[in-house]
Amino acid sequence: MSALAVSDLKRSFGGIKAVAGVSFDVGVKEIVGIIGPNGSGKSTLFNLLSGTIPPSSGTIRLLDKDVTHQPAYRIARQGLGRTFQIPTPFINMTVRENLLAAAVEGEWRSARSRAEEVLAALEISHIADDLASTLSGGQQRLLEFGRVQMRDPQIILLDEVTAGVNPRLRQIILGRVRDLQERGKTFLVIEHDMELVRTICERIIVMDAGEIVFEGTFEEVARNERVVDAYLGRPET
Amino acid sequence: MRAGGANSARLTARSVIPLVVVVVFLATLPLWVDDYWVRVWTGVAMWAGLAASWNIIGGYAGYISFGHVAFFGIGAYATAILMQPGLDWNFFLTLPVGAVVAGVFAFIVGWPTLRLRGAYFAIATWALAEALAQLVNTVDFTGGSFGLSTPGNAETGFFYYAMLIASALIYLIIFAVFERSRFGYKVKAVRDNEAAAQSLGINTTSVKLQAFVMSAALPAVLGGINAYWITFINPQSVLAGDITDQMVVMALVGGLGHLWGPAIGATVLYLSSTWLNAHFGSSTGYIAMIGALLALIVLFLPDGLVGLMPRARNMRLVRQMLRLPDRRADPGPDPDTSRERS
Repeated sequence: MSALAVSDLKRSFGGIKAVAGVSFDVGVKEIVGIIGPNGSGKSTLFNLLSGTIPPSSGTIRLLDKDVTHQPAYRIARQGLGRTFQIPTPFINMTVRENLLAAAVEGEWRSARSRAEEVLAALEISHIADDLASTLSGGQQRLLEFGRVQMRDPQIILLDEVTAGVNPRLRQIILGRVRDLQERGKTFLVIEHDMELVRTICERIIVMDAGEIVFEGTFEEVARNERVVDAYLGRPET
Repeated sequence: MRAGGANSARLTARSVIPLVVVVVFLATLPLWVDDYWVRVWTGVAMWAGLAASWNIIGGYAGYISFGHVAFFGIGAYATAILMQPGLDWNFFLTLPVGAVVAGVFAFIVGWPTLRLRGAYFAIATWALAEALAQLVNTVDFTGGSFGLSTPGNAETGFFYYAMLIASALIYLIIFAVFERSRFGYKVKAVRDNEAAAQSLGINTTSVKLQAFVMSAALPAVLGGINAYWITFINPQSVLAGDITDQMVVMALVGGLGHLWGPAIGATVLYLSSTWLNAHFGSSTGYIAMIGALLALIVLFLPDGLVGLMPRARNMRLVRQMLRLPDRRADPGPDPDTSRERS
């Protein structure tokens, strides 16, 4: 069974094809990286998968259930969690309240202890009562990742989760990703940090102009001519 | 690392102690002031309840409603109509009816209008309240523009004081519970970032609608009590747009999205306008004074009057007087993860 199966997914904005017929599968416990130049459709793909925007056509299957055209909250309830390219903390709430807002429906009684677990795992217990608006960019990314964990989703989409984050917080995030993978979670990761992609991703999908141009291991991607042309560029001779 | 349990206990104490002080103050007030001040504080309680109800949709959910007077008016008319000769309902039974009618009206109105945001939502709710006022003006069972009288009652001023104070305090307790409930967190999450809230499994449409219904039902009860108190209502007295304006201004002045903000705003504005009217009411100059007071608060306290406390606590002199630890001298927790700046 695939954790996530995407078939011929398309989304246009006016005349621009942001995602132009994308198909791929992600297996359970797999960590798949998505790379590509700016404007290649990576974040739009995440918005389609999470239901933030509806697709023009194509299908999305989450844990063998068709979730195409379902609203974002229903997709989240079926086991998909995500972070955003620009962190989206609830700025007028404390760190702890941010986590409590994400508590799973019907599990309110255990939500507070769950929040304390997440705070401890991400080493942010000491800022639990601080307003989210007072956090640094890196801490906001950590908080957003923590909020996702409150719901214990099966599939987690991370959109540049370590961008602008200091090495210490980066290690905390990566450690947590590996820990969650061991517990059976699946990850789809958008990243520009190639070292990070090489370290944690078992497979890489390369996108350009809304299409998948290559799929393979990091070594295969690094050797591929089209990827080098589209993303890495060639030194001028 | 701070202990969550200790923090929760401190938070609860911080909420409960002011509430106990307020309850004791209001319960003993009629014993040491004359009837005039009992009437004034009856008005304070009513406006505090109205502003706090508006705060649910305006402050916590972030949807600025300019039509909230409609729910106050619905409650007032429900009580007045049901108490008319022939129907002769008991006053207390009319209050939940008004709340239910207002809630149903809010549900019907909220379904389409809560898809709008910002000024569009504000204009839509204002227009709906105006439409309701015009409708009440034209139909017979509301008495049209002539209005309706409620049956004469022998209740004393203390009865209305007790009713409105009890309502306001019950609302405060409801809002205190709401603030730390799962539903309260959901409402605040929707206000801060709707897309992120949806991605966390929150049905934002349903949450907004529930918050709107909740913020509509409570003013209806106050409308019913008000109708019984003033014994005569018409569209100008219970459906006038300036009633909403006052709710909004009181919540803004006190502090939006804060438990005590609307109550503080209502108390300060109602008492100051009463005092200014009593001393300078021979001309309309006192209205300009209230305007100046509002302008000063908005200018220097954008978070409302509730912003005074944290600001005061940050001042070195106040901290010394209260024997609080100096924050600037506090090295704080691990600097790596506590104040990392990327």
